[in-house]
Amino acid sequence: MKWASGMAILALVLLVAAGTWSLFPRPDVPPWEEETAAWGAKNAVAAIVLGARLWDTLFEVLVYAMAMVGVRLALRPLRRTEPQAPLPETPLLRRAADVLLGPIVVFAIYLAASGHLGPGGGFPAGALLGSGLLLLALAKGADRLGGELHEPILERGEYGAIVALLAAGLGVLFLGWVGGGLFVGLNLLIALEVAIGAWVVLHHFASSRGEV
Amino acid sequence: MGTVLLSVLTLALAVFALTQRRLLWGVIGVGVHSLALAGVYLFLAAPDVALTEAAIGFGLVTFVYLLALRRTGRLVVAASEAYPILYQEGERIVGLEWEILSRFGRSLHRDVEVLWVPRSEIPRLLASAEVDLAAGGFLPRDGEAALLSSPLVPTRLVTVRTGEGPLGAVAGDRGQDHLPPDAPTYEDHEALVRALARGEIGGAVVDLLRARQWFLAGHLRDAEMTPVEDSLAFRFAVAASETETYAALERFLHDFSATGELARSLEEHLS
Amino acid sequence: MDGMAASALAIALVGLGFWTLLRRRNVIWKLLGLNVAAGGAILFLVAIAHRPQARPPILGLGPGQSADPLPHALVLTAIVIHFATLALSLVYVIFLTERRHSQDVHKLEEER
Repeated sequence: MKWASGMAILALVLLVAAGTWSLFPRPDVPPWEEETAAWGAKNAVAAIVLGARLWDTLFEVLVYAMAMVGVRLALRPLRRTEPQAPLPETPLLRRAADVLLGPIVVFAIYLAASGHLGPGGGFPAGALLGSGLLLLALAKGADRLGGELHEPILERGEYGAIVALLAAGLGVLFLGWVGGGLFVGLNLLIALEVAIGAWVVLHHFASSRGEV
Repeated sequence: MGTVLLSVLTLALAVFALTQRRLLWGVIGVGVHSLALAGVYLFLAAPDVALTEAAIGFGLVTFVYLLALRRTGRLVVAASEAYPILYQEGERIVGLEWEILSRFGRSLHRDVEVLWVPRSEIPRLLASAEVDLAAGGFLPRDGEAALLSSPLVPTRLVTVRTGEGPLGAVAGDRGQDHLPPDAPTYEDHEALVRALARGEIGGAVVDLLRARQWFLAGHLRDAEMTPVEDSLAFRFAVAASETETYAALERFLHDFSATGELARSLEEHLS
Repeated sequence: MDGMAASALAIALVGLGFWTLLRRRNVIWKLLGLNVAAGGAILFLVAIAHRPQARPPILGLGPGQSADPLPHALVLTAIVIHFATLALSLVYVIFLTERRHSQDVHKLEEER
């Protein structure tokens, strides 16, 4: 049994490797410079993600939001009832959170706002914001932070970001909106959505089983 | 060239992560592997993908795994075989301590995994937190840095003398404390009783449970038994860093003996 | 050269991930294997997009050939969706552990 699965995987790997051999050398890249400039962007990836394939991106954000709704609903029956014993105070962690949180938020906003000019964009910016929130949760305790960041408000922010994204998609479709400003707005909305989703996952995981 | 070197490093990290025994190290290894993978993307002129992978694959994914692991990991137990209380019957593990351990694992929602090791290995494994618990007729020695549970099975140390010659003991066992430093030691009780049967040593310092088992198995015909140390007990030892597990174990054992189930299990396994 | 090395790494990672997926009995280990295999699949697309001595697909980075931006755009969202589905599957792992007290697929299959 062990040998059979090993041989099967080895055969698969060799087959794919043989197929890959014929892919090289790669043909020239089709020209993308004018197209990118026409979308009002410098980063071709941003031009594709937010321009040519905008609806694909919007619905993937919707898939992400659906997964987060699933996490929220599935973990609700497993919520802890008794309050958690607070973590011992760690001055190092609190200092690190104090010092790092500002730069993390600023860098995340920079990444989102300049995503159409250079590397970055809404997705890494949102993930970075989520990590920043987790750092804060580690320093203050997830329960306390969860009490301070009111979940209903966050939920409204999440759904609001989705509605705004879909409205922007309709605006592009029917009113012909285009340009760098639109990309900045879309990137910021995507970052908000991803950050709130990441926070939901981390917060619910932390408050249902174990502690941060 | 840089790409090739980084590729080799990435693959090595992935192999390292996926061949670990402990899930925690696997998760951390996969996290570091993701960071190296982000470096490879950077070398392949894909800065957007590299940023996203570093922020999500390295940051969020590792956090989510760690949070899920907090309470759902494995309970790794190092043990040496001790016939009526923790031993293997074919593929299965049975005995009094196994009954307690598997129920304790259920109460924590963790699978219990037993590593069979010689007694002398146990302090090192506990100190490095490679295992969470030690069991299997564990008699604590002085100076072992571990958290000891409440007593499970009362026992005592005895000297069994079958003939002339030096006394032997199991390496790292408590019996060794009662012997001169140059006394012969053996890896486990199996080896000790074989040496005893061959007449290499004239006797041994062991706990009463093993002595009784040897006697029943016919290894000791006309042996002379003298008590060495009274009022000992088999306990579990918890790694010093696992204070939460220790507190949970103490609570569990308290309930287990308060409901009279400990006495019932003792009756069932040891009579 | 770089692209070839990277695609070889990608294929090796997918094989390694599938091996873990098949051989490990703990569901979280299976998810980790899947994680590594997903990384390999993403790396394969990025390696296919690479050209010798390519620069990133951003305007104004000088002359010379650039990498193909289309696969980059494809995998960007794939990474995010991977995180979302991973979180969802870990929720089900937590459920399994809570209800069935085990993460071992053999145990889960035998004691229905």
